[in-house]
Amino acid sequence: MKAAVLIKQVPDTTAKIDISGGEVDESGIAKWSISPYDEYALESALQMQKDVGATVVAITLGPDRASKSLVDAAAVGADELVHISHEGAIGSFALQTALAEAVKRVGADVVLAGKQAADTNAGSTASGVAKILNWPCVGLVSKIDASEGEFEATRSTVAGLERVSVSSPCVFAFDKGEDKLRIPNVRGIMMAKKKPVQKHTMADLEVDASNGGITESSVTYPPQKPPGQKFEGASSAPEVVSRLRDEANVI
Amino acid sequence: MRTLKGLYLSGCIDIMGYEALDFYDVDSLLTDEERMIRDVVRDWVDSSVIPKIENACREGVFLDEWRQEIGSMGILGAPLKGYGCPGLSYTAYGVICRELERGDSGIRSFASVQGSLAMYPIWDFGSEEQKERYLPKMATGELIGCFGLTEPDYGSNPGDMVTKAVEDGDGFVLNGAKMWITNGTIADLAIVWAKLDGVIRGFIVEKDDPGFSAPEMKGKHSLKASVTSELVFQDCRIPKDRILPGVKGLRGPFSCLNNARYGISWGAVGSAQACYDSARSYAMSRIQFDHPIAAYQLIQNKLAWMLREITKAQLLAYHLGEKKDSGTWIPEHISLAKMNNVDIALEIARVSRDIHGANGILDEYPVMRHMANLESVKTYEGTHDIHNLILGRHITGIQAFTREA
Ligand SMILES: Cc1cc2nc3c(=O)[nH]c(=O)nc-3n(C[C@H](O)[C@H](O)[C@H](O)COP(=O)(O)OP(=O)(O)OC[C@H]3O[C@@H](n4cnc5c(N)ncnc54)[C@H](O)[C@@H]3O)c2cc1C
Repeated sequence: MKAAVLIKQVPDTTAKIDISGGEVDESGIAKWSISPYDEYALESALQMQKDVGATVVAITLGPDRASKSLVDAAAVGADELVHISHEGAIGSFALQTALAEAVKRVGADVVLAGKQAADTNAGSTASGVAKILNWPCVGLVSKIDASEGEFEATRSTVAGLERVSVSSPCVFAFDKGEDKLRIPNVRGIMMAKKKPVQKHTMADLEVDASNGGITESSVTYPPQKPPGQKFEGASSAPEVVSRLRDEANVI
Repeated sequence: MRTLKGLYLSGCIDIMGYEALDFYDVDSLLTDEERMIRDVVRDWVDSSVIPKIENACREGVFLDEWRQEIGSMGILGAPLKGYGCPGLSYTAYGVICRELERGDSGIRSFASVQGSLAMYPIWDFGSEEQKERYLPKMATGELIGCFGLTEPDYGSNPGDMVTKAVEDGDGFVLNGAKMWITNGTIADLAIVWAKLDGVIRGFIVEKDDPGFSAPEMKGKHSLKASVTSELVFQDCRIPKDRILPGVKGLRGPFSCLNNARYGISWGAVGSAQACYDSARSYAMSRIQFDHPIAAYQLIQNKLAWMLREITKAQLLAYHLGEKKDSGTWIPEHISLAKMNNVDIALEIARVSRDIHGANGILDEYPVMRHMANLESVKTYEGTHDIHNLILGRHITGIQAFTREA
């Protein structure tokens, strides 16, 4: 069995984001990491590697810097690495088409991805890839039990935990998983550097990068929260009460 | 005035995570692998040490999950090769120490003792059987080691130790006591230095050996998240094959100390970086007399001094790593770096504590903990002044450790 994990490199959740000219200024981002939900997907694939001997293929699409996330994936145990090179922004449809094509070419039986990327929050990749491949897609998964070609996935619903069965080929979109991505081992790091990366371009995957479907027009900061207010002494209680009632509408 | 304050507030405060000061970009001299190892250890410290350390200190415990996770990262005995050891560069070992000590000196102490003081003597002076029996499991943290050199009456001059071993039939019998032994109570094995026929030799004592006990020392104000113990030997009987065959005399323990002291010279940089980071962000956000205190020259002077000393310490540590890796070092090089870097780290911790005002004494900030820890680090592995004496002897050719010629 071959499990493909779709990995996106995003600014680390601790990175400071600057916006200039309606775009995120990438030069100011000191640290890039694998998107957190993708990490849960990767951990689940690594468990399939252990439980049913799955071959884990990490696939990323992005500029040169994104290859670092493939090395990180190899350091925790990914067997094969695929990098689809693409500089700059890309529409989600072109992205999904390219990822689906890469999944086909590596011959994967199952795809695992995060439910959404930590930077764009778009949440369309897993289902889009499933649509293009014409495979079933299970969303908001927290755990997968795999046997050869059959999966039981746990998902959280409003009512509680739901268990669903699905057979390969299929796509899983991960919510926060039950198991955090394992800590890499330094020996894994040394070996990861030597692992070959299969490189593709959009052209050799025969994908039209301009056919994105959706394009990002601009990015702005979220509206600034008004500064907090401080009231001191018991005498300010009536004012606090009236503000809470009339301005904050909480009492 | 108002706009000035607004400017400081909107642009500069970061409530983001730790930012490691690296003014001269010294880490750009590391290899890609060394940087990856740094990131792994740094992330681990962020997620597994920082949120738990204050509580562990309050309770005076070293968490067993730290042992397991440090073991699974594969960083114990970093520069040793073979027998399941990582086989990394000395520079990588230094980077690991720095990142661990940014979390807490106690965590770094655990790794220093395990790698440099317990694994190293087995690796360098042990028999083939000893290496195979202990090293692979010590590298994964399954077995913990400690190092017993210091005695209640012999600290800086371990050469006069009184712990004794005598040959007795098919084994050795040990009598005596060691004190201040890191990891002692949680250790599965102790490397014990004792005199056999008047000559210092290394012995491996296992925790269940008859006549051996390792009670924990309580009441420390420093290195609270590290276990410190006495080792007591009362007719402690061990088999013949537990002596380290490869070394006699003080060279044994001193070669272990060289490696541990080297690691400390990097580790201290980590503590200093943590204290600087906290001081800088506190100074930017603490407003007194209508301005962030960072806007005052006296505070800037302190921060600039920290930047200066940390940058120098980083360069010392890095260059010493190069010398360790190329084999061009002498013990005095290590003395200088250990002494200097711990000294400035402790001073930076104190100044950082000062900048934090009253908040500096709270465990909401890491500075007082680092400050208290560094008092131990200044004393162990050769006190600050013992390193001065080592350098003094190097400069003059005259030893000043004793009053005798
Ligand atoms: C938390 C902690 C953990 C430790 N872990 C270990 C461990 O794992 N294994 C181990 O073996 N030991 C360990 N030690 C012991 C440590 O190595 C000793 O404390 C250290 O060597 C100093 O010895 P001492 O405390 O007996 O001080 P002393 O040697 O009594 O020194 C007291 C003071 O006198 C000064 N002094 C001593 N001799 C001279 C001289 N000739 N001229 C001028 N000044 C001098 C010293 O610099 C110091 O300021 C640990 C200590 C601590 C605090």
